[in-house]
Amino acid sequence: MTDRTTTPGAADSENLPRKAEGRISHGDVRELRGPLLVMGDVAGVGWDEFASVDVAGRERHGLVLEVDHDLVTLQVLEGTDGMAPGNIRVRFAGQPLRIPVGPGWLGRVCNGRGEPLDGGPPVTGDTTLPVSGWPLNPVHREPPQEPVLTGISVIDALTTLVRGQKLPIFSVPGLPHLALATQIAAQATSGGTAFRVVFAAMGLTHADIAYVRDRLEERSAAGELVLLLNAADDPVIERILTPRIALTVAEHLAYTEGHDVLVIMSDMTSYAEAVREVSAARREIPARRGYPGYLYSDLASLYERCGRVRGQNGSVTIVPVLTMPAGDITHPVPDLTGYITEGQIVLSAEVAARGIYPPVDALSSLSRLMRSGAGAGRTREDHLDVAAQVLAALARARQAAELAELVGAGALSETDRSYIAYRGQVESGLLNQGHDELRSLDDTLGRAWSALATLPRQELTMLSTEFLDRYLPEGSEAS
Amino acid sequence: MTGLPTGADATLAPVRDSLRAAALATVAEIGHDARERGQALLAAAGREADGIRAAAAAAGEDAARSEATMRSARVRRQAHETVLTQRNALRLELQEKVRVSATALRTDPRYPDLLAGLIERAHALLGPDATVTENEDGGVTAEAGSRRLDLSLPTLAADTLAQMSPEVADLWRR
Repeated sequence: MTDRTTTPGAADSENLPRKAEGRISHGDVRELRGPLLVMGDVAGVGWDEFASVDVAGRERHGLVLEVDHDLVTLQVLEGTDGMAPGNIRVRFAGQPLRIPVGPGWLGRVCNGRGEPLDGGPPVTGDTTLPVSGWPLNPVHREPPQEPVLTGISVIDALTTLVRGQKLPIFSVPGLPHLALATQIAAQATSGGTAFRVVFAAMGLTHADIAYVRDRLEERSAAGELVLLLNAADDPVIERILTPRIALTVAEHLAYTEGHDVLVIMSDMTSYAEAVREVSAARREIPARRGYPGYLYSDLASLYERCGRVRGQNGSVTIVPVLTMPAGDITHPVPDLTGYITEGQIVLSAEVAARGIYPPVDALSSLSRLMRSGAGAGRTREDHLDVAAQVLAALARARQAAELAELVGAGALSETDRSYIAYRGQVESGLLNQGHDELRSLDDTLGRAWSALATLPRQELTMLSTEFLDRYLPEGSEAS
Repeated sequence: MTGLPTGADATLAPVRDSLRAAALATVAEIGHDARERGQALLAAAGREADGIRAAAAAAGEDAARSEATMRSARVRRQAHETVLTQRNALRLELQEKVRVSATALRTDPRYPDLLAGLIERAHALLGPDATVTENEDGGVTAEAGSRRLDLSLPTLAADTLAQMSPEVADLWRR
C-alpha cells in the first residue's frame, strides 16, 4: 500500500481546491444582447471578474459588468456572433483579468487581448498584475520636468513633450497622425536614453498596422517595443481591454524595471466607440452623441496612469492619438480628452494641403508642461523665448495673410509682407521635415532663428538683446 | 476734301521722324524688356528645374533609403518570427507530452487514490447530488444542474502547466 501523503497523485488532489473551482463551468444562458451575455444560476462571482467563454469548443473571453442575485452580465470581448444558448459554457476566473508582466513583452507582437500574433509562445513573466491597474497615490507623483526630444522640430521647439506627460494628437481621418506617432515612437529620447515603446493600436486598418510595424521594426529588433494590435476587423469590444493591457505592461516596465516608457494609443476614438457600444447594449442613458456619461472618468482612468513616481527611476509618457469626426474639436472624445491631458498637438487638413509634414497647426497646439521641461538647464536658454516669438509672429503672419487675400499682397505694408515671407520660411524651414528625419534641438532652434531673421529686428520684441546678438544669423534682415 | 495742303509733307516730316523714332525706341525698349523678361523667366525656370531635380533626387534617395530600411526590417522580423515559431513548437510539444503523461496516470498504481480524491472534490464543490462520471482520459467530470466541473487529467495537467508558465518558458528561452 502506497503512503498517500507521499504520492504525487495525492498531493495533486490536495492542491485541487484552488484550481478546481476555476474548472466549474456554467451553462444557464438567459440572454444574448449585443456584446452582452447574461448567465443565470451563478453564485460567488464579482464585478470585473474575468471569464472564459467556451463556444462549441472555441474559447472566447469575457468581463463581468453586473451581478444581480444569481444573474451575471458579461461583456464578451470577441463579440457574441455565432453564439446560441446551448453551446455556451462560462468559467469564471475568480479574479479580474491579470496579465504576466516583465521584459518578456519587449519585442513581441500581440493582439488586443495580449495573445501572440507573431507565432511565438504566450508572453510570460514572474509577476502578474490586474489590467485595471492600481490608482496611484497623488502625493507619490513627481512633477514631470525632463524634456523628451522627439527629433521633430515642431514638437521639440513649440510643444515640447515632457517625461511623464500625457500629450494627445488630435487629428482628422486621412491625415498622417499615425506617421507622426510612429516617428515620435521611433525617435524619442530623454536624457540621451531611448524609450521603451508600447504601441496599442485600436481599430487600425491592416495597412496602417503594417506601416507601424515596418516603421518601428528597428525598435522591435532592439527589444524596445511592444505592439498590441486590434485591427479594424477585430472584435470591437476587445478595444476596451487593449489600452489597459498596454498601460499595465508599461507601468511594470517603468516603475519596476526602471525604464522610460512611451505609450502610444491609437485611435482613442475607436476605443470610445467600443465603450459606447457596450453602454448602448446595457441600455444606459446616453449622454452627448450617444456616449455614456462616464466617458470622462473612463478616459481619465487610462490617461491618469502616466507620470513619474517619487523614488522610482522610470516614467510612463502617454501619446494618445484620436481622430475628430468631421474635424469637430467639440466632439465628446477630443473635448473630454482635452480636459484630462496636458495640452494637445492638433493636426490640420489645411496645413497638410500645403504639403507640410507633420501638418501641425502650431497655433492650436500646446504643451502645458513645456515651461517645466524647456529652457535654461533643461533644453537651451533661449528655447522658451524663441518658441513664444515664433508663435506670436505666426499669429501675426496669419492675420497678414488673411488681409492679403482681401486687398492683395501689394497693398500690404513692408512689415506685413515680411510676416508673410516669415510664415513661408517657418513652414518650409522649421515645420516641414522628412518622415524619418531626426533633427537635433540645436538644429531645430537654429531653423527657428533663421525664420525669425526674415522679420525686421524691431518686430522681435519677445527676445532679449542678448539672445538676438548671440543667436540671430549674421547678414539677416533683422541683424 | 482729302489730302494735306501742299508743303505739309515737308512741315510734318520732323513730326513723323520724331514719332518713328519714338516708336522705334518703344519697340527697342519692349524688345529689350521682353528679352530681359525672357531671360529672367528662363533663369527662373532653370532654377526651378534645378530645384525640382534636386528635390526629386533627394526624394528618390529618401525613398530608396526608406525602402532599404523597410526591407531590412522585414527580413529581421521574419528571422525573429522564425525563432518565436520554433519556441512555440517546443511549447506545444511539451504540452502534448504532459497531456500524454497525465493520461498515462490511469495505469499508475496510485490512480485509484487520485480518482477517489477527485470524486470527493467534485462532490465538495457541486454538492452530494452531483453526477460524477469518470473521464475516458482519466479523472472525472461532474454535473449539477447547469454547472459542470471538469477534473479530467488532461485538463488539470494543462492548467498546472499554464500556472507554471514562467518556469516552463525558461526551457526555450535559454
